[in-house]
Amino acid sequence: MTSPLFFKVAVFPGLTSIGIIIALFIWLDRKITARVQLRVGPLYASPLGGVLQSFADLIKFAFKELFIPRNADKFFFVAAPVLALIGGAGLVGLIPFTPEWQISNLELGLPAFLAFVTLSPMLILLAGWSANSKYPFIGGLRSLFQQTAYEIPLWLSAIGVVMMAGTMNLIGIVQAQAKPWYVFPGMYIPGWYIIPQALGALLFFITATAEMERIPFDLPEAEPEIIMGWQAEYPGFLFMSAAGASFVRLYAFSALFSVLYLGGWMGPAPVPALLWTAIKIIIVSSLIILLRATFPRVRIDQLLRAGWTYLLGLAFLNIVITYLLVVGPRI
Amino acid sequence: MPDIAFFGFAAVTVLGAILALESRDLVYGAVSLGVSFLGVASLFFLLDAAYIGVFQIAVYIGAVVILILFTVMLVGPAKGEGPTEFRRTALFIGILVAMMLGVGGALASPSAFSTNQPCTPECDLAQFSQSLLVTYSVQLAVLSLVFAAAVIGALTLAKSERGTA
Amino acid sequence: MEPLASFFGLSATLLAIGIYGLATKRSAIRILFSVELIYNAANLNIVAFARLRNPPLVTGQVLVIFSIALAAMEAAVGLAIILLAFRLNSDIDLRKMTRLKG
Repeated sequence: MTSPLFFKVAVFPGLTSIGIIIALFIWLDRKITARVQLRVGPLYASPLGGVLQSFADLIKFAFKELFIPRNADKFFFVAAPVLALIGGAGLVGLIPFTPEWQISNLELGLPAFLAFVTLSPMLILLAGWSANSKYPFIGGLRSLFQQTAYEIPLWLSAIGVVMMAGTMNLIGIVQAQAKPWYVFPGMYIPGWYIIPQALGALLFFITATAEMERIPFDLPEAEPEIIMGWQAEYPGFLFMSAAGASFVRLYAFSALFSVLYLGGWMGPAPVPALLWTAIKIIIVSSLIILLRATFPRVRIDQLLRAGWTYLLGLAFLNIVITYLLVVGPRI
Repeated sequence: MPDIAFFGFAAVTVLGAILALESRDLVYGAVSLGVSFLGVASLFFLLDAAYIGVFQIAVYIGAVVILILFTVMLVGPAKGEGPTEFRRTALFIGILVAMMLGVGGALASPSAFSTNQPCTPECDLAQFSQSLLVTYSVQLAVLSLVFAAAVIGALTLAKSERGTA
Repeated sequence: MEPLASFFGLSATLLAIGIYGLATKRSAIRILFSVELIYNAANLNIVAFARLRNPPLVTGQVLVIFSIALAAMEAAVGLAIILLAFRLNSDIDLRKMTRLKG
């Protein structure tokens, strides 16, 4: 009965694995942050450094009362975080972990991914509005400003990769990185796009972190200022969906970064392809988590000014550089 | 199978459009409008115009619906919702009937439009980009100028609003 | 049903809904909804005609790209005007905007 597609959707890279990986990411997030701040972090929930802590939290959240504020708009209050979680899981379905392990291989994989990302500020704005309370609404509006401002540099920095690869299919983009750039005798530089697209990769990393709303760009949540922002009123299970959606996006964006810039499942050593993808995803997501432990939060005006001026200008500069790199050798 | 998909997406589109105009709360109206746009995007996928579908999702739902939601939330829910005038509903029904008559006419007339032909070279992304960036490059440049004008205009309006208020 | 006729019929229905909204609604935002629905009806029609022609044309898709971009601009400027009108009149009922001078 288990057709390959059913297995892919239900187990890997689909729903079951997404759930387990989110739990592991939450643990990784707490553990790395704790280590940077000279704490121990989760410790007791298993022999191995509290790996099972997130599962224990999940059980705790599942038993909490599902309390909906009286004046809230019930439909959107419930639907928005659940839809955000489902949409984030849909993003993972577009990622090729290896050519075989991909749920849907679209011709326009990259723009489809980015187009789905643009749906999320609407859900967060609705979640903040529906709670009918001040702090959630401020958080929703901040999310709207931040995500719509940073979408544009995100698209523009991804254009560089499309120009170099000549395709928007994610598998095609990885295969275009197979050819090494320079092979001296005994020296091997992999043809990953992080080398010619260094500026684009940096911009993509920054804007993706802003799209995920993680520190230093977590203004919509901003615990000390607006008390978790749009998530403030959410009860147990719904808060879990809202927080889980943010970690699904961390997973999906780390995977997309490793596909676009780090050569996906290919690597210089004879290791199984899936392991390469896993190593790259863990490295990228650990970097993003380290940012959280290292940098202070920016202000909303600083964020928007930087987004609309520096990042946008650098994204255009990156397109010009890529044009010279692609067309230059032909002249 | 494509027929079922077509009717499903068509139903989503039409229901979303009707709800967008008739829902009591403007926020629900804006979200229904987004659902309707999503239905149209799916229909573009059925018509082998995947790029248009993605563009539709990114621009309409990612930008237009969000702008509308933002405006609705700023303006407040119940502004400007007077009672619907029923004389005009009759006008609507008349227009609808006329449209359906037009569809009937299109059905009756034999046409050069055939059904299930493959669309390999013409609907290709390369062909599309060629057409957009080479054949219609001047139009694209003019469009970007119009864009700049629109952005400056919207910013001017927003600024003067802050000045007078 | 013949594919062209079904797409054309859907497009006509969307257009009719849009015209109905333009004719009956008083809120400026609902009028904007109607205009966007009419844009969508036109886009769907153009893409369907270009695809189902024999042989298919790619020009229709290019035209629709221009149309979608123009619709987005129109929405941005229109919403800025609506916000301005709301600041001036504290209402967005179009039937109440009878003064020519703000």
